Amino acid sequence: MLIDSIVSPIVSDWQSWLSSGSLLLYAAAILAYAIAMLIVISVFAYVFGWVERKVIARIQHRHGPTYVGKYGFLQNLADLVKLLSKEQITPENADRVLLAIGPILLLALTTFMILLIPLSPALQATDLGLGMLAIFIIIAFLPLLVFVSGFASGNKFADISAQRSVLMLISYELPMLVVLAAVALLSGSYSIGSIIAAQSGLAWFAVVMPIGFAVFFVAMLAEMERPPFDLREADSELIAGWLTDYSAPYYALALFIDYTRVFLIGLVIAILFLGGWSGPSFLPGPVWLIAKAFAVALVAIVIRATTVRMRLDRVLRLGWLWLLPLALINLILTYIIFVA
Amino acid sequence: MITRINIGPVHPSTHGVLRLVVGLDGDTVKEVEPHIGFLHRGVEKLVETRMYMQSPPYMEKLDYIAPLSYDEAYVAAVEAALGVEVGERAAYVRLIQLELQRIASHLFFLGALCNDMGQMFTTFMWGFEDRDRVLALLEEATGQRMFYVNMRVGGVTMELPPDFSESCLSFLTYFEKRIGQYESYLEKNPVFMERMKGVGVLSADEARALGVAGPVLRASGIDYDVRAARPYYAYKKLNFSSVTALKGDNFARYKVRMLEMRESVRLIRAALLSMPEGSALGATTKLIGPAAKNRTVSVSRELPRGECMMYMVADPQRPYRLSIRDPSFINLAALPYLAREQRLADLFAIMGSLDLVMACVDR
Repeated sequence: MLIDSIVSPIVSDWQSWLSSGSLLLYAAAILAYAIAMLIVISVFAYVFGWVERKVIARIQHRHGPTYVGKYGFLQNLADLVKLLSKEQITPENADRVLLAIGPILLLALTTFMILLIPLSPALQATDLGLGMLAIFIIIAFLPLLVFVSGFASGNKFADISAQRSVLMLISYELPMLVVLAAVALLSGSYSIGSIIAAQSGLAWFAVVMPIGFAVFFVAMLAEMERPPFDLREADSELIAGWLTDYSAPYYALALFIDYTRVFLIGLVIAILFLGGWSGPSFLPGPVWLIAKAFAVALVAIVIRATTVRMRLDRVLRLGWLWLLPLALINLILTYIIFVA
Repeated sequence: MITRINIGPVHPSTHGVLRLVVGLDGDTVKEVEPHIGFLHRGVEKLVETRMYMQSPPYMEKLDYIAPLSYDEAYVAAVEAALGVEVGERAAYVRLIQLELQRIASHLFFLGALCNDMGQMFTTFMWGFEDRDRVLALLEEATGQRMFYVNMRVGGVTMELPPDFSESCLSFLTYFEKRIGQYESYLEKNPVFMERMKGVGVLSADEARALGVAGPVLRASGIDYDVRAARPYYAYKKLNFSSVTALKGDNFARYKVRMLEMRESVRLIRAALLSMPEGSALGATTKLIGPAAKNRTVSVSRELPRGECMMYMVADPQRPYRLSIRDPSFINLAALPYLAREQRLADLFAIMGSLDLVMACVDR
């Protein structure tokens, strides 16, 4: 039934286009939108990558990149060129196919997810009734793909990293979904449009349910694998975790995915808790949404620069003993105060 | 089932070239086997082929985090062999330089520890900023920033510059505030505290049995500091008191070093204010061999990493044999005991808390 409700809007959409005889036009429109979104993502990832380097550098009393371009803005481009011009070395005992398709599938899924997120009421590929739920189903797949890629390389560090990835998945999906349920309780729907509409009617959900917001933000940090939850790429322990045996273009791809995922999570938090595209009218809706996503990402950067990494067992303990109960309390409180 | 993973010799947090073969059961470390020797340069043998005062540069390269301390330990052994007393002012100058070096070394420790626990170089960079100020002071005093080669038999190579006392005192005032800032920044971070407290506990008995040295020993509650047990230079006059902690965990080892920095600040300030007049210069000639009075000497010094013992059999021209008891080497031996039954992530935190320098482990 769940699958039905996710698929049926797409199918009905598709059928209506088909009946009007312009399937090609529909496909072309979706493709054009996907390419446009890919450009938006790339620009965000690029700018975010530069801002992250600069902000962390300033926190550490350094200058960060300064030589390539104005204020080192083109540094990441130079790094990209360097990575692309290097050789990909595949270990002998690696599963070549899985190793190659892992990051590509990750990128495809991340991009697909961003296609499901409208930038404004007018700017969207398709309007799913269960939009948010669909996004969370796909988010749960990301650690699995990391598991596959890490497992495929045949490296023990990558293997440990892959296992950590799945352990993190099971302890953070649940609190996240419980908070999402509280959001749906308030807005009466999983549709992104109605979640944002409910916030402009009531208040930002970050204000309405601060506990839920805090739980969700922490769970999202874990989902993004940002410090203090970067156990998967723990450089001081696992060298580069699941990326240990990726080099050259694949490593560039992995970094790109990392930044896109930050964008994605920023968008999700902005939509669920920070009022989405609503904002003073001197700026258009999509700009507000992206600006809010960027603000969330900036907080993640500052946390990254200043904290040490958590230990695996503590991360699991935090997930099960703190986040899950708090998420449930948040759900109950939300029900008592706003529904009952 | 035990999974064996090979960590190092090239790995982000092995402090140089340490190789660890780790037996893992899930996320729990079952056994750790350190393999050393990747940086072995045969320094102890090399010293036998050099005249006495040609060796300090080699000694400094043993511990590149605190070169001056090693330099001083070696020169102290030479002085003992020759039966030379260090001048009264020179003793103060050396003490000031050694304690400055200790501060620089502990700042490096702080940054490396946070890096090992997964921080992204922030404390490291901040620590290096302050370390840089210390190095600037040492540069004023010795003419070099990294490898000072500043000790001469009976004294040092150059007098302190006239404005040294002033700039050093102003640094100390600044730095005392900074220590407080480091402490409050790190100790108010719950993630940092939970990685430090109760991890890698070394009881006093175990510490004694393993013979660990320096802050690692004192963090387990054993009050043994060469500066207090067998005082040299002006440590006794300046009322040096050693720093100990009780718990013996990572946090205790970190805290001992933080408190030692405070003690160093106090010592330097007191030394600057009560420094006697006179000359601090040592003998300039390299050919000081023929006068060797004592055939066999052993000198103990409290380096930033712990007690270093220089055992020297002296010949007229050059050392017949030099043997170094190095604190990093001995503390590394405690790693397999400390890391057993700990989490994989804590293995690196423990390694960071031991403050190893592989160059002096391998010698």
